Amino acid sequence: MAQIRKSPKTYDAIIVGSGAGGGMAAYVLTKAGAKCLMLEAGGWYDTAKQSKMLQWNYQAPHRGVSAPNTLRNYFDAAVGGWQISGEPYFNAPGTDWKWFRSRMLGGRTNHWGRIALRMGPYDFKPYSCDGKGFDWPITYEDLAPYYDKTEELIGVFGSVENIVNAPDGKFMPPPKPRCYELLVQQACRKLGIPCIPSRYSILTRPLNGRPPCHYCGQCHRSCATSSNFSSPTVLLPPALKTGKLEIRCDTMAREVLVGRDGAATGISYIDKKTRKEIQVRGKIVILAASTCETARLLLNSRSPQHPDGLANSSGVVGRYLMDTVGTTGSVGFFPVLMNLPPHNDDGNGEFHLYMPWWNYEKQFRHQMPFSRGYHIQMGGGRKMPGATIFANSQRYSGGGYGLELKRGCRKVYGAFISFSGVGEMIPNDHSYCEINKDIVDEWGIPVLKFHFQWTQDEILQARHAVETFREIIETAGGEVVRTPRAEENWGITRGGEMIHEVGATRMGSDPRTSVLNLNCQAWDCKNLFVTDGGPFVSNSDKNPTLTILALAWRTSEHIRDEVMKRNI
Amino acid sequence: MTEDQIKQRGIKFKRRDILKAMTVMPTAALIPLGLKTVAEPEPVGVYHRKALTEHEFETIKFLSDLIIPADERSGSASQAGVPEFIDDWLDFKGDELRADIRGGLTWLDVECNQRFGKDFVRCSTTEQKKILNRIAYPDKASAMDSSYVAFFNKLRDLVVGGFFSSEMGVKDLPYLGNRVVADWEGCPSNVMMKIEENLKAQGLGISLAAPKET
Repeated sequence: MAQIRKSPKTYDAIIVGSGAGGGMAAYVLTKAGAKCLMLEAGGWYDTAKQSKMLQWNYQAPHRGVSAPNTLRNYFDAAVGGWQISGEPYFNAPGTDWKWFRSRMLGGRTNHWGRIALRMGPYDFKPYSCDGKGFDWPITYEDLAPYYDKTEELIGVFGSVENIVNAPDGKFMPPPKPRCYELLVQQACRKLGIPCIPSRYSILTRPLNGRPPCHYCGQCHRSCATSSNFSSPTVLLPPALKTGKLEIRCDTMAREVLVGRDGAATGISYIDKKTRKEIQVRGKIVILAASTCETARLLLNSRSPQHPDGLANSSGVVGRYLMDTVGTTGSVGFFPVLMNLPPHNDDGNGEFHLYMPWWNYEKQFRHQMPFSRGYHIQMGGGRKMPGATIFANSQRYSGGGYGLELKRGCRKVYGAFISFSGVGEMIPNDHSYCEINKDIVDEWGIPVLKFHFQWTQDEILQARHAVETFREIIETAGGEVVRTPRAEENWGITRGGEMIHEVGATRMGSDPRTSVLNLNCQAWDCKNLFVTDGGPFVSNSDKNPTLTILALAWRTSEHIRDEVMKRNI
Repeated sequence: MTEDQIKQRGIKFKRRDILKAMTVMPTAALIPLGLKTVAEPEPVGVYHRKALTEHEFETIKFLSDLIIPADERSGSASQAGVPEFIDDWLDFKGDELRADIRGGLTWLDVECNQRFGKDFVRCSTTEQKKILNRIAYPDKASAMDSSYVAFFNKLRDLVVGGFFSSEMGVKDLPYLGNRVVADWEGCPSNVMMKIEENLKAQGLGISLAAPKET
């Protein structure tokens, strides 16, 4: 085809994706001297200039409430969306999967919650603990040095607690709790639930020229002062400074190219501005396009050498897709928080205290009706008002109308606290993505079809979370405003809704049952690696980004060492 | 457009003020107004209705100010732009809610005409309140009126949400954030004391001063 343009240059590595996994690969490999090309499906993002920090909801359409092409708030640094025009995906009958895709430099690291929890020793060996799911081919000890290095590089606050399976890290001091969090902490104390300082990749001390947090509470909008972690503010600048990194935005990878020997030779992508195909050559190909996009790219990379898609001789690409078990929609009203003197509750955005899972012992003694656990997050206080402030709260504000209502609203402002569970999903055979062969997106790339199911372990976990929230609310003298009911599956989120999808190109110790080996290297293609959430074998209650970063660092060092040893 | 031209059109702000406002406002927030804003500025506050008829909009105005009237601390809902917010919100949320709210407004007029021989907006405040008192207090309302109680709950949420998320409402509450804080001090001592007092009064056996979980 005359349209194809082939770049004469051969890069040491081509990295698909610029988020946590791609950014970390570029950071480590360019520092090791490798010439890297990074492909990003979205546009350039300049955080300092484009952050919508410190704007008001009333400056946004509909007071900033979410729309299909935004995440949760109009000002969120989230280019892409729950639906992307020209790039459809499909759900199999009975599946209700939501897929949030980023199309911007840095991907979801621009708007993520910055919750930075290490996976613990049990989380790497879940099958050994309870006979469900699968063990990782590595242990906590294998990844711990990379957690250390990652935390020191990106900056994470927290406190040393020595709690089982919630490993401490290299922490900056945590911010002091808000008033309502102190109240919840006391209720938890009565109930024997640990309630400790949260752990976020937000600076409370200066680090590498980045100033500490200014407590506007708007991390989702990306931080104009780089006081929280994102790939474009923390990983890409030092990588670019080496002069070894080239970034091409608006490029949609369509296929991993392979040679006669089956090894990867580069990437074929569509340049979105010209809609032309371009082929680039690399000695190593690293996929970090987000777990489902990476699986899609592999499944669409069919060749005589790899007829079922690249790295898919096991048939496992796309399988064992997981999201986080979210248990949302639980709110309490606390009379003791009424009529408080006005004060600023913004803090660092989300919760300053959280409750790590506390029932391991009971589970080991088989005294719980479900396996695996969740941690509790909370939100409340005198938040920036949005369009739905005080909705459905007439019972508390006094209802009616007129001055009585107006005064009632002032009284109850800040007296509500919401609770949510963030928990582990066990991988199952019914949750996977595959190519929907009949339909292509506007770039000519076949699209994905999703299959997804929660099992009883997840639903019973959500029930436990809801019951716990009710206990906490009542112990703190509150009144339950609402909690989800059994008919609503206890408020469990839709698959994908938590934007923690992982596992579709899992690692393992057996090439028949996994896509990648213990170094995240494809069993079938030794110069192909994955550094996004795809390699995850389980999806513990710990939010995945910190582990993606640490694992990507470990994988990138392995690549560096193998290249030095001339093994690849 | 020159400043003279702007003056001729009777517009009080200056070009540099428009540009200043644009740098503060998110670009996309200007999109509903279109690029015409720059070339041919309209007086600030001109709103083009999207979801409601003129009569319905007028009714919403009356209702908004009955729900959130002005007092010593802040203005009324219509002074905070709530009717415009509601019209825009109904347009954004689509048919179901729009039909629900418009249907409720129609019922109000039907009821007012039957009882007082005129539309809601033409009724005296006393007459208006007579109707509202029937549907504004869910616990006391007659089961016969349940659909209209549900309507009023939705309308109240829209007015209250629209008011307290407006610039006026944010200052009224007050919300004290969305600003740069040099040193985060956690829970201020005066707030902590007030919570302690409330806890004691409620007799919960909880104190924020108790030792923390270790």
